[in-house]
Order: sequence, then structure tokens, then C-alpha cells
Amino acid sequence: MSHLLTFRYGGLVLEDKRSWPVFVPIANAFLPTQALVLLKQHQGRASRCVVRVGDLVREGALIGKADEGGAAAIHAPVPGIVKDIRPVRVSAGGPCSAVEILLQGNFDRLGKREERYIWTSMSRTDMIQTLRERGVVEMDEPGRPIVDMLASRKSPPILLLNCIESEPYLRTENAVLHECLKAVLEGLAILNRLLEPARTIVALEPHQEKELGEERLRVLSGIEAPVELIRARQKYPQDLPNQLLAAINGGRKKQGIGELFIIRPSTALAIYEAIVLAKPVIERFVTIAGGSIKHPAVLKARIGTPIGDLVEECGGFLGQPEKILLGGPLRGQPVHDLDAPLTKQTGAVLALTSEETNRSSKVACIRCGRCADVCPERLLPVEIYRRLDKNRTEDAHAIGLSSCTLCGACGYSCPSRLALVEAFATGQAARELRR
Amino acid sequence: MSRVTKTLVGAAPHIHAKQSTASLAWGSSLLLVPAFLWGLYCFKLAAVLPVVAAISAAILGELLIGLARKAFTLGDGTAFLTGLLVGLSMPPGVPLQVPILSALFAICLIKGAFGGLGANWMNPALAGVVFALLNWPAEMGTWKWPSHLTGVVGVSGASPLGFVHSKFATEAGGGDALSLLGASGFSFSGLDRSITAFLNNDLLGHLGVSLPSGYMDILIGNKAGAIGELSGLLLLAASIVLIARRIIRWEIPASIFASFAVLVWIFGGIPFGNGYFSGDILFEVLSGSFILVSFFMATDPVTSPSTPGGRILYGLAIGGLTFIIRRFGSGAEGVAFAVVIMNCFVPAIGKLELAGRINRTETLHE
Ligand code: SF4
Ligand code: SF4
Repeated sequence: MSHLLTFRYGGLVLEDKRSWPVFVPIANAFLPTQALVLLKQHQGRASRCVVRVGDLVREGALIGKADEGGAAAIHAPVPGIVKDIRPVRVSAGGPCSAVEILLQGNFDRLGKREERYIWTSMSRTDMIQTLRERGVVEMDEPGRPIVDMLASRKSPPILLLNCIESEPYLRTENAVLHECLKAVLEGLAILNRLLEPARTIVALEPHQEKELGEERLRVLSGIEAPVELIRARQKYPQDLPNQLLAAINGGRKKQGIGELFIIRPSTALAIYEAIVLAKPVIERFVTIAGGSIKHPAVLKARIGTPIGDLVEECGGFLGQPEKILLGGPLRGQPVHDLDAPLTKQTGAVLALTSEETNRSSKVACIRCGRCADVCPERLLPVEIYRRLDKNRTEDAHAIGLSSCTLCGACGYSCPSRLALVEAFATGQAARELRR
Repeated sequence: MSRVTKTLVGAAPHIHAKQSTASLAWGSSLLLVPAFLWGLYCFKLAAVLPVVAAISAAILGELLIGLARKAFTLGDGTAFLTGLLVGLSMPPGVPLQVPILSALFAICLIKGAFGGLGANWMNPALAGVVFALLNWPAEMGTWKWPSHLTGVVGVSGASPLGFVHSKFATEAGGGDALSLLGASGFSFSGLDRSITAFLNNDLLGHLGVSLPSGYMDILIGNKAGAIGELSGLLLLAASIVLIARRIIRWEIPASIFASFAVLVWIFGGIPFGNGYFSGDILFEVLSGSFILVSFFMATDPVTSPSTPGGRILYGLAIGGLTFIIRRFGSGAEGVAFAVVIMNCFVPAIGKLELAGRINRTETLHE
């Protein structure tokens, strides 16, 4: 299995912006003196706040309780005093309640020897309960709670560890693999036990192969069933479910995506830490990069750290950034200011210069078809856009709007800089609303 | 801590390809400069005036439309390109009202009246050229010989293509395009003679074929013709850059050439009394506006299909129509008419493209 797999239709070959040194030891970011912890760090509704202003919280104490599906428990990333509970506005969307914690007191974990729990003797119910209590969610968007994902699967799925980061600049998963390979694979083994999947697959970028050869994988994971390796070509958006499925199926997407159970190395690490180290999700690896960052790096930082602190730790800004993003340059969220806190889903903080964004003013669609060339779902974005532009939402759905994954490939390629993805997201939401 | 004053929060994606609609249009204009310079060398002032007039008229028209709509759109480069293309399609020394009115017609009526860039269904530049051909057939059919060939400026004569095709009606009889030209007193340049001799003696001779004189003149542009259409060589070189830089896609010119060449090869010899499969592809392709139109005008994104399959269908049809119009029509400018006709079918091709994609998407999602 030496050749590289990929999906057949569309896609972008993007310049890899990860030219900074690859495997430096990952630095632990400084602890934030003030952590701002959002009560919604998952797909569903915000969790219920269980602390009051003035409360003393310990590191890892529960501060947000999940009352319904889609929500997950939230924990205090640092010990301290609850200074404020207030709504904050982060990126797009409405305001979200957040708990502000002033760093104070002793750490229960930092610098202490970690105790390890032997999970092989735990029952399935115990493990699921533990995952729920520790607030384990997908460590990237949309942030579904792991327990929900486990509960909703039907037939034995294909368990897939998705190590591919096909957006430029991102290097978070790479770093996680490098620093915590054993833990990631143990997390995978735990999931393997919980899911009893039909196949277990690790999807890799070619350069990760040295670290993750087949033999190594088998030995390290301790999974008895064979673990398959898929080496994928560097093409955007190879890391999305449909395109992963296409790579597995030799180009075309043949099965529904319900059968794939995809997790990121970061998520596998969180599962491992929750079960083996009894640790809630209070920190994560995050890429700090972009042309406006003086010394790009991957940091291990506490949830709730203001992104400004992280930027500062990377030497601050180099000139004026044009855009600051949480996440990758194609699917990430722009933020207004540097007070936005790190969340469980924030894989990257990017500060891009205008040379990198290549923004130019919007002009009319010239029907050039570049969007159709790159659409990995083989849609005709130009036609969908024209219908939405005339408020013909249903017609837009009739020609495939609902299968758009909002990957952004069309918007990237459009020479007229039309806000295609924004229009498609609005069109999809309009239909959801009517249902 | 370092603060940033203001960052943008526009929607994803946050990075874009370098190409913009403006860079595409200005890029095409830039690549037409060599062909214009050759026209300038051949015709001096007679080449400059029509081009300048057409560009000025196009810019003026775009400004007027812009004023009416309160949108300043000159920066997108498309009006300049339209003007330049109209100008380059003019015969040298044409009365200036021809390029001016044609460019105004293109910008104000074809492009502006339908709602500006992207909303027009016919290529403005070509519509302008066709407008000129229909309104001023005499002026549009008066050609000049390049001054460096005749020694004086302003000697008029027929273009090779027009001449050869005009003979179809009157003189049947054996031969081919070039011998017809030669026999009628078209003199070929010294350059042509030396290159042809070199090719025949040193290269082709070993293969047992020989190239008659005349082709080199036609390829380089030593002939009578429109200002920007003379040099197939320079236009082809620019087209390679167009495709390599992905300003245009290869499908349209390639498929126009394919269907046109096949038809010429099969039927093109008949008017000369030579029977099937004896057509002169090289002469037909290098003559008239074939290259300029197929690479620079038929590829206008607004008025051509948006998928590879659609573009191939479109190109094949243009090639076929061009052959029919050149063979049976009155004028030699078949390709311009063919593209304008096919512009009308782009929406229909669009329906086919959509149906094709939707069916395939459904099977993908089973
Ligand atoms: S890429 Fe942009 S300009 Fe080109 S057809 Fe698509 S939407 Fe229109
Ligand atoms: S955002 Fe949607 S329409 Fe655009 S390329 Fe991606 S899947 Fe296709």
C-alpha cells in the first residue's frame, strides 16, 4: 500500500504554510492570570453554571453541568476565585455565558505525579460515565460530546483516527502525535473497545509515516484487530468525512457517512486523559501561526486563556494582521479582538496579513466555473449562488445545496470574491429553520 | 501586550487564490500587447488610431453606465479589454467612427443594458465586431499591406483569406490556397523565402515533404489583415501564457481547433477541385481572426459554459459553425459569427451541465 489515496472530484492543492521547524518540543503556555471559560464549548446548548461569583474553585472543578444531549461538562482550567459570570461575544453568533476565574491558590495536578487507572478492567458503563463527567467532546468543530457520538451509532462503524490537517498552517494534530503518540493510541484502543468497530483505520499525511509505521502502530496501540493505514495525498479538504470515505473507497464515495466514526488525535488524547488519568478537558494543543506572528509555534495551553496571551508568548505581532482566526484559514472563525478565549475546539489561532488573505473587492460573478472545478461534492456553486441571490432557496436545495459541506474551496477560488460560503450557510440555515 | 487596532471579521474562507476578476482581465490585455506592437510596426499610425479610439469609447461607455448605476467599474479591466479587442479586430486605417460606435455598442448595449459585467449573454467585444461587419461591410473589408513589405504606407489589397475565398465563387480549378495566391501576384517576403528554404532543405527534406512558400509569411504576420490578427505566431505565444497562467482554460480553443481542423481537412479541398481529405488546415487556421477569437474571445468566461464538458461541447460547435460560415457564407470572418451564435446556446448548455452534475451527485450519495 505505497501509493497515496485521495478523493476524485475537485479539491485544492494549497501551499503548505508549515515551513517553521516541525518537531520542536512543545512549550507549555504560561498559565492565564485570568481565564475566561465559555459555558458552551460543544455543539449543543450552553451548560448550566454551577458556581457563583466569589466562589473558590479548584483546578478541574466542575463549573458547568450538562443537562441535555449535545452539551458537555465544563471544568475550571485553573484554581482561583470566580470573579465574574457574564455574557461575552465571541466571533459569529450570539453572546455566550462565560465564567471568569482569577488565578489563585494551589494546583492539584501541576507538577504532581500522575496516577494511572487501568481501563482494561473497567466496565463499559463506567467508562462512558467517566467520559461524560470529564466533559470529553470532539476537540474540533462542531464539538459533539463523545458520549453522544457513541450513543448515536448504529451498526459497527469504521473507527478512523484522522491525523490529516489539510488546511494550511495547521500543525496541531501533528504535534499531538509527536508528543503523545502512546497516549493517542491508547485513546484509540479505548474507543476500539467501546465501539467494537468493523475496521480500525488511521488516516495519515505522507510525512507522518515515519512516526506511524504499520508495525509501530500495532505494537503501540495494543489493539488486537489489525489497524489499517491510509496515506492520503495533500489536497484540501481531504480531512472532511466525505473525502476521507472517498479515499478509503478508492476515489468515490460509495457509502453513507454514518458508518464512519472519526476522531482527531487531540480527541483520542482527551479520551485517554479522561479515563486513564481521570483528568477533565482543561488544556489542549494549539497552533499559533500566520504571517503576523513573530515566532509561530504549537503550544499546550489551558482552556480559557485569552488568545492575546498566546500570541504574546509567540513574540507578539509582526506588523498589522488583517484577520485573526480561531481555526484554519478555510473553515475557521474570525474574532473581533484578542480577549477571545481558547476553547476545547480551538485547534489554531492564526493572524494573517493581507498578502496571505489575497482579499480584493467583490465584483459580479463572471461565470468562470472555477468554483465548479474545485467543489469536492461535485456541485455547481455558481448555480446555487445565483438561485440564493434571487431568494430562491428551495431551487438552490433542489440542485444540491444540502450536500454542501461548507468546505470553502469554491470561495477560495472565486476570482470575483463572492461570499459563496456565507450564502450557502445562510441558505442551509433558512431551511433548517422552516423544518 | 501588543494590541491590534482593527481586524476584519468577514466570513470564511479567509484566504483566496491570487487570481481576481480584475487580474484576469488586465492579464489578457497585457498578453495582447505583442500582437498590437506587430500591428503598429506594420501599419504605423493606421494601427494606433482605431485601437485608441475603441479603447477610449469603451472606457467612456463604461463610465457613463457607471454614472447611471453609481458604480465605478473601470478597475475590473473588462471594459478596457473589450475596447482593446474591438480595436485589434479593425482593419488598419478604418474610419474612426467604426471602432468608436462598435465599442460603444458593445459596452452600452450588449454589456450595460443587461446589467453590467456577468449579466450579458453575448460577448461584448465580438458583438461589437459583428456590429461593425454588418454595418460597414465595405470599410471592414478594406485591407492594407504592411508598410515594410511594400515600402510605402497605405498600399491596399485583399487579405489572403478574403482573396482565396472570393475565388471560390468565380474560378474553380485545381491548385491550393497558396498557389492561388502566388499566381495572382501576391508576393512573399524574403524572410519567408529564406525560412521556407531552410526548413525544406535542412529539416523537412529528410522526411520527404516540402513546405510551399507563403506559410511563413502568414504565420509571422507578413500579410494584410486586421491590426491585431496578423501574427499567428505572437498570438499563439501569448495563448500559451494564457493557458499556463490559468487565465483561460484549454478546452474551448482546443475543441474549436479540433472540429474546425477535421472539417477543413475532409471538405476544405473541394472548392479547389481537389476532392475529400485534402484541405489546407494550416492556411485556414492561421488566416483571419481564427486564433485571436478562439483564444481571447470565445474563452470569455461570462459567455461560455462553466464546466469542462460544457466548454468542449461549446468549442466543437463553434469550430463546426466556423467552417460552415467560412465555406458557404459571404464573409471570411466566420469565427466571429460562430461564437456569437453559440453564445445564445450557452444557457441551454448550462441546463445540460446542471443535469449531468445532479445525476452524478445523486449516485454518489446513494
Ligand atoms: S468562481 Fe466565482 S465568478 Fe467564477 S463562476 Fe464561481 S461564483 Fe462565479
Ligand atoms: S463550500 Fe460547498 S459548494 Fe463550495 S466547494 Fe465546498 S462543498 Fe462545494
